[in-house]
Amino acid sequence: MEPVLRARGLRKAYRQGGRAVTAVDGVDLEVRPGEVLAFLGPNGAGKTTTIKMIAGLVRPDAGEVRIEGQDPHREPAALARVGAVLEGNRNVYWRLTPEENLEYFGTLRGLAPGEARRRGLRLLKRFGLLAKRRALTQELSRGMQQKLAIAVALVHRPRLLLLDEPTLGLDVEAAEHVKTLVRELAGAGQAILLTTHRLEVAQALSDRVAILRRGRIVAADATATLLARFSSGHYVVELEAPPGPELAARLAALGARIEGARVLYAGGPEGLWAVLEALRPRPLLRVERDRADLTEVFLRLVKEGRHA
Amino acid sequence: MLRLVAIEFKRQLLMLRRYPMETAGQLAVIALIFYGLFLGARYVAGPTARFGERLDALVVGYVLWTLALFAIGDLSWGLMNEAREGTLEQVFLSPYGPLRVYLARSLANLAATLVLNLAVLLLLLGLTGARLAFSPPALLPLAAALLAAYGVGYGLGALALYFKRIQSFLNLFQFVMMFLIMTPFERLAAPGRLAGAVLPLAPAAGMLRDLLARGAPLDPGGLLLALANGLAYLLLGLGLLAAAIRVTKRRGLLGGY
Repeated sequence: MEPVLRARGLRKAYRQGGRAVTAVDGVDLEVRPGEVLAFLGPNGAGKTTTIKMIAGLVRPDAGEVRIEGQDPHREPAALARVGAVLEGNRNVYWRLTPEENLEYFGTLRGLAPGEARRRGLRLLKRFGLLAKRRALTQELSRGMQQKLAIAVALVHRPRLLLLDEPTLGLDVEAAEHVKTLVRELAGAGQAILLTTHRLEVAQALSDRVAILRRGRIVAADATATLLARFSSGHYVVELEAPPGPELAARLAALGARIEGARVLYAGGPEGLWAVLEALRPRPLLRVERDRADLTEVFLRLVKEGRHA
Repeated sequence: MLRLVAIEFKRQLLMLRRYPMETAGQLAVIALIFYGLFLGARYVAGPTARFGERLDALVVGYVLWTLALFAIGDLSWGLMNEAREGTLEQVFLSPYGPLRVYLARSLANLAATLVLNLAVLLLLLGLTGARLAFSPPALLPLAAALLAAYGVGYGLGALALYFKRIQSFLNLFQFVMMFLIMTPFERLAAPGRLAGAVLPLAPAAGMLRDLLARGAPLDPGGLLLALANGLAYLLLGLGLLAAAIRVTKRRGLLGGY
């Protein structure tokens, strides 16, 4: 499937105190329909600058952005294919109601006002905001405001949705709502580029991950592949108490390693059963295969970069 | 474009309706000033442009002054507020492009202001029985003056977009506008007269003085000059705004405040 977004060699430097500081240095990104790309990185890594270059809000020094083949920096029509919720912004008018915001921004994105109104109402219903459609936006909860911002970004049915920290400042329940929405949108074929500091959110939602450090991508892969690459793959058996010397010797003979009350086994499933037989009838607390999570992967990559 | 103007007009009316006390206050101020003018209190509106002693001349002077002030500040205040509140970048995401959006916004906001002022004026004319011997040709230099004022406003908008906080500068511009509208350049010697042709608003204000205070007939040459002046400043202002948009995007300054 052709990518909705194709960014190549994006580069941006700003002047700070008389010298050039590179914010983004040769970033390549692709997002396909129905795909969620989690774009991760520590503060100041260049995520927001990259997103704004993709949205046509910051002009790159080098490189190119194509949204379904169109360049948002030269062809304003390309912006009709983009919707964005930007971090640190209200994104909508607080003095207007949700339905007024949707009609206004829908028209601003090229729809006829009547069509914007109709689509707006459908989105409000889908996002559970219909009862609040005539309430002032400033009176809505933070979670509702964020859902409205996402609805506004979707009213013109963009092919690419840019979500910069969509769960920032939300309570657990509101963040779960936003996560569910993102999952549903991707399921319906929406291409989504997502930045977040909440790595469990990125892990739960993303099909692919790109990790940015000091303006450069240090890892980019399918989320499952990246996690597998950083997982040791060994089994962990947790006991109630450390094994005695005799049992420890038997386990060692089977290739297992003992760390206190934990037995680590790096072999295959058949060997694991032999280890479990050796442990019978001791009570077991946990048996699982070690699997890295995105937080571990992220921290290792970012630390590696710091030591490099 | 018409669609954009219509939706901006609707947004403006919604904002006015949303805060009824604020709008009522604005209407009361407009009503008091017009009523004061009717009663002959010529200085009630502050340092308004005066084009003679007749009521129509006072009203035209006041209308020009308020609309010109509105035109030079509207875009800048709007940009500063949007940058602070975090909606500016969403406006820039429009496929119409920011220039067309802001042009539409100017037209819509001007229309809303005109509607408010005219409604109050007509209401007061009806209530007081006062009559305006308004000469329709005066509308042409008024339009020329507004074109130039919008040009200056777009130039200031370019500064607001780049620097984000230019409130003091905007306040200072009230005095510049006063100088441009009230100085009788047409009565000055050659260098002053030349300045009167080149400076923004000056030729249109001079024409209004001729028409309303001195009772001179409409001079087609002068009108042409006033319109050319207005158009030139409008284009210059739009050019500066377009350049500011490019520079702001290049330096990544759009979202900051």
